Amino acid sequence: MTTLTSPAPTPTPTKVVVRPLRRGPSLGRIAAWAVLAAILLVTLLPFYWILRTALSTNAGLAANPSDPLPVGLTTGGFERALGLQSTKEAIAQGGAGGGLDFWRYLLNSVLVSTLITGCQIFFSAMAAYAFARLRWRGRDTVFGLFLAGLMVPAIFTLLPNFVLIKQLGLVDNLLGIALPTMFMTPFAVFFLRQFFMNIPREVEEAALLDGAGKVRVFFRVLLPMASTPVITLSILTYITAWNDYFWPLMVSYSDSSRVLTVALAIFRAQTPQTGVDWSGLMAATLIAALPMVVLFACFTRRIVSSIGFTGIK
Amino acid sequence: MRIRTVVALTGALALSLVTGCAQGGAAGSSSDTVTYWLWDANQQPAYQACAKDFQKENPGLTVKITQLGWDDYWTKLTASFIAGTQPDVFTDHIVKFGQFADLKVLEPLDDLGIDESAYQPGLAANWIGQDGHRYGAPKDWDTVALFYNRKLTDAAGLTAAQLNGLSWNPKDGGTFEKAVAHLTVDENGKRGDEPGFDKDNVKVYGLATNGAGDGDGQTQWSTFAASAGWTYTNEKRWGTEYQYDSKTFQSVIKWYFGLAKKGYMAPFTDYNIASNQANTQVASGKAAAAFDGAWMISSYDGFKGLDVATAVTPAGPTGKRATMMNGLADSITKGAHNKAGAKKWVKYLASAECQRTVGSYGTVFPATPDGTKAAVAAYKKKGIDVSAFTRPVADEKAGGKEFATFSYPITNYAADVFALMHPAMQDIFGNGRSVTSLDRTNSQINLILDQ
Amino acid sequence: MTVASTSPPLRRPRGDGALAALFVAPAMLGFLVFLLWPTLRGVYLSFTRFNLLTPAEWVGLDNYVRMVNDPIFWDSLTVTVEYVAINIGVQTVSALAIAVLLQRLTQSAVLRGIVLTPYLMSNVVAGIVWLWILDTQLGIGNEIVAALGFDRIPFLADETWAIPTIALINVWRHVGYTALLLFAGLQAIPSDMYEAAKVDGASEWRMFWRITMPLLRPILAVVLIMTVIGSFQVFDTVAVTTAGGPANATNVLQYYIYGSAFGRFQFGYASAMSVALLVVLSAITFLQYRLTRAGHTDLG
Repeated sequence: MTTLTSPAPTPTPTKVVVRPLRRGPSLGRIAAWAVLAAILLVTLLPFYWILRTALSTNAGLAANPSDPLPVGLTTGGFERALGLQSTKEAIAQGGAGGGLDFWRYLLNSVLVSTLITGCQIFFSAMAAYAFARLRWRGRDTVFGLFLAGLMVPAIFTLLPNFVLIKQLGLVDNLLGIALPTMFMTPFAVFFLRQFFMNIPREVEEAALLDGAGKVRVFFRVLLPMASTPVITLSILTYITAWNDYFWPLMVSYSDSSRVLTVALAIFRAQTPQTGVDWSGLMAATLIAALPMVVLFACFTRRIVSSIGFTGIK
Repeated sequence: MRIRTVVALTGALALSLVTGCAQGGAAGSSSDTVTYWLWDANQQPAYQACAKDFQKENPGLTVKITQLGWDDYWTKLTASFIAGTQPDVFTDHIVKFGQFADLKVLEPLDDLGIDESAYQPGLAANWIGQDGHRYGAPKDWDTVALFYNRKLTDAAGLTAAQLNGLSWNPKDGGTFEKAVAHLTVDENGKRGDEPGFDKDNVKVYGLATNGAGDGDGQTQWSTFAASAGWTYTNEKRWGTEYQYDSKTFQSVIKWYFGLAKKGYMAPFTDYNIASNQANTQVASGKAAAAFDGAWMISSYDGFKGLDVATAVTPAGPTGKRATMMNGLADSITKGAHNKAGAKKWVKYLASAECQRTVGSYGTVFPATPDGTKAAVAAYKKKGIDVSAFTRPVADEKAGGKEFATFSYPITNYAADVFALMHPAMQDIFGNGRSVTSLDRTNSQINLILDQ
Repeated sequence: MTVASTSPPLRRPRGDGALAALFVAPAMLGFLVFLLWPTLRGVYLSFTRFNLLTPAEWVGLDNYVRMVNDPIFWDSLTVTVEYVAINIGVQTVSALAIAVLLQRLTQSAVLRGIVLTPYLMSNVVAGIVWLWILDTQLGIGNEIVAALGFDRIPFLADETWAIPTIALINVWRHVGYTALLLFAGLQAIPSDMYEAAKVDGASEWRMFWRITMPLLRPILAVVLIMTVIGSFQVFDTVAVTTAGGPANATNVLQYYIYGSAFGRFQFGYASAMSVALLVVLSAITFLQYRLTRAGHTDLG
């Protein structure tokens, strides 16, 4: 029974998928692929459906709800979503007349997400360095405190944070939206500390021996070496900040501080008397989702490979 | 290091200041603008006219009117209190008055010199807060009556006199239920009071549905509950206990929603606040009659090809006919940017002159008797008979022998009452939950009011 | 040269206190102001009546008494638990299936990317898309239902369907991320274990139960804890699709808390309910940790 196992390593590298010893695809394998294909279909079809609906007219949708292609091919939905149609035209095509002030909301989302990501990653990296490489009294206690912060569900601090923002006079202001997460999140600190700890010390020690101060080591040595996880963490943080709805909803009350997620929800709520403007709504949804899709398309491999518990064990 | 942090923070701050400035302008009224919010688009032209006259008499002052749909209106208003961007003046509703008084966001209007007798009975007193100060200047009033499709009632052999003389009781529904049953026609042409009537396949309902009614049931069951002798709370104003656990009330509700079970009233699932209110049901021919408020007169009149008339509410076990008489008011926010201008505008809104102007547009009944007269005349010109709405008010003035008018409940924590009653009543109407479930709801409400 | 090299060693015993303070300062500021202080303040506010526009007034246990007697609060908690049960149940099984399929069939990053795409969307986008797909009159989902011969189902307007539907919408959105987390966990299992089992003639199914599951357990446990905590905080999808209705059938706890604070200006009561949510979450997390022995790994 054990005659086939030999201590000598087999020529197949371990990262290759274990191939079944049978010849040709088995029934089970075909079934498995079928299931996977079905899952991929369920994942992707809604996106196609958004596009198809956005390019249809509302009247067409009512007449042919199950046509796989756009009915009455038109850009009307997008025009309404961007507020490019006159109220009369909009109402005639089933819309409500109010559009997305798209560029402004896009700008707001970009500003908020960039502010949050930029500052949070930077400050968290600094703290992570302090925990990973510097020696100081109480280091582990403070880190433990930060970790405990992971236990508090984000939602518990939302209300009191809102009260604080209101008292700071930052309601309806982009800075007010960014502030609570701008400084650090326990996760970011934890993640980066983990990574810093795994970097071999030799390079740092060489630099230190050359007379560089610890500050310099951080900026010139450690950060560049950690560029991969930093960039990945940044992308994930950016996506999270971009998709946030609850917090910006609480803080913003006018166009000047409104972000895309909130704007989309408002567009959805502007249901005209005669029934929902599906075409316009789907167009608005597509517009709101597009930036993240583009970001993802550029960084797919990096994002996908980064998800996991690397370094945490 | 630190420097970099400081630079980053300052940069962020500067950024926000830039964006903040863009927003600063919006909040803005300069000292010569008065911002005014209302929700009824039908009434906007009337108030625009008032504004024009006001601006003529007060050169330098501009009134900026914003109209927002009902749902949006209250959401945006409460949001504006949070964000500090509230309007100077806004149309206030009794059902929200309690909440705004709780929050202390209303400016006292004692110095406006509002004389209660200058308005229809009861209207001005409703806007006195628990602390004795006035917080609203009377604006208009409305009552509830029965709108009916004359073609259908003629076909059913019901005359206007009959419809105006109906009575009801919680046991068998009285002549009212008989009339509604007779107006109901199923798919086979059988009327509701004929043998073989199929209540699961109704073509035309005798009575349209306006939903479950929440805590007030203004156009749903309020007229029945009141004419059975029930009151919302233990006091006329600022009561401390609600009385939804009253057996009288519960028997009224059971009977009222029972009409739907019998097939005479449209079911809960027919009602849609956005696309299928009672008036739409009547207009589309799905229902023969509907209880609705005076603010809907123009809407019903505007339905092409529909001949609509109105009748007074049926008399109840107390012998009287009852209708809610609700009056809107104009309030000034405590955080108003232009309080002086706001006070002038509100005083003008409450004046005989403005109310006459508004009345002449024939869209609403202003609070002053003169304004009411102007409105009645304007409706008459359009060929609309509004006596079903004005009779209760006239009767009230003359001693109230035939009619009993009552107001929305005025209490603290109104929003919580709504939050509890809205789903509770929906549960009873839509899911057939027992009316005794209101006992628990009521005790929760009273627990909150006790705070 | 050698003279300079002696100074760093001299510095070390003294510690990097001052430098560390500088480095940790911004994060510390954020932690204290936006994490610690709000936590304490949240607890404080739960004992007050606070409408945001006037100062808070202390009312002791009033909010908690009210909460215990509040039928809507208990309904809300029930709805939330129902949601979490369906959401996590379906999501975990699906994620596991996807992860195993991905690991055993292909290692393609493109496919993994596709699986992750719904996760990039905000909950708002996901909610609106499915609102359309499941629309009673015109949605393609109901077209298929009708084509199969059934009555159209008002997925988001019916009391019994609403919460399961929202749970499944969120499964669609989150399963990709969870699957990739589990996938990473699966990668950590040395493939020679599978090789050895194959040699012994084990089927895929057997290998799954005897090798994959036991070794994945710690990661699965952590993922479960994370997803349960996240699931309890559902808000966005509900806000955008059903707004808590019909008749409070989807009035999840976070939505009720939001309504109490921003609709009825009762920040004190809302804070009390937040504390309740925190307690519930902590209890569940603790239980989960114990039950799944998440701290131990059999991988050695």
